[in-house]
Amino acid sequence: MIEIRVDDNACNGCGLCVKDCPMHVYELRESLSVPVHPENCMGCLSCHEICPAQALEHKGVYPSRRHYIDIRVCEMLNRVI
Amino acid sequence: MSDGTIRDMKGAFSTDTVYRSEDVPLTCVPHPEELEDTLHGLMKLNGLIIRSLEEIAGRGANAVTYRAGRKYGHEVAKYFQKMDNIEEALKELSDILRGQFTFEIWKPADKPSYIIQENGSTFIYLVFHDCIVRQTLRRNGQPQEGPLCQTLYGYVVGAIEEITGRKAKLEIVHTGPNACLKKLILQ
Repeated sequence: MIEIRVDDNACNGCGLCVKDCPMHVYELRESLSVPVHPENCMGCLSCHEICPAQALEHKGVYPSRRHYIDIRVCEMLNRVI
Repeated sequence: MSDGTIRDMKGAFSTDTVYRSEDVPLTCVPHPEELEDTLHGLMKLNGLIIRSLEEIAGRGANAVTYRAGRKYGHEVAKYFQKMDNIEEALKELSDILRGQFTFEIWKPADKPSYIIQENGSTFIYLVFHDCIVRQTLRRNGQPQEGPLCQTLYGYVVGAIEEITGRKAKLEIVHTGPNACLKKLILQ
């Protein structure tokens, strides 16, 4: 099963993850996103991408193949970071 | 153009390699790791074809790509063993497509079985993990759920029709950067 962790300090309670998830994994409680049904997470990482605060962490996700990444650009970015 | 320039250009294509008719290639040349540029070129080209098709044909683009995908699905699946069991058929299809379109049968935790019956329709959720369509679209910054996704839709429908002889429909429920959720509706 996928484990989801929300960084309470980073989450700004915008509710985008709640709206976006088709399986209703998240709920807003006291202006914070809470993963109430992590067992229903299929690992699409849509919430991960949409979260403006980057407050989400998923453990146990199958990482899909990413051939589209430009390795040279990523290497350059890594050097800058 | 000077003789030197022509000689340089010709020189780049002349080798000592001997091709014999009985030679069976056992490796990809060049090594797959060196194919990055080719792959990126193909993805770009594919994305641009789809974008142009959408500009010219509008909504008709979906019908074209769906049909292409369906033909591909029928073509691939005609070598499969025919079966009635839809779950078995999907498992076999998933094994064969591994790498291009890796998918799994999926269900929400509260559902007792993978074949779900709701509001008079019978369906199965499929989660597509590896998908060449998604990668192409994201490579080109194009939105998901467009005509290129219809090829995959047609592909699965065509393959299921060929294997089980049953009519099916595929609906895109959700798209994400790492996986997409689809609903295979059985008729």
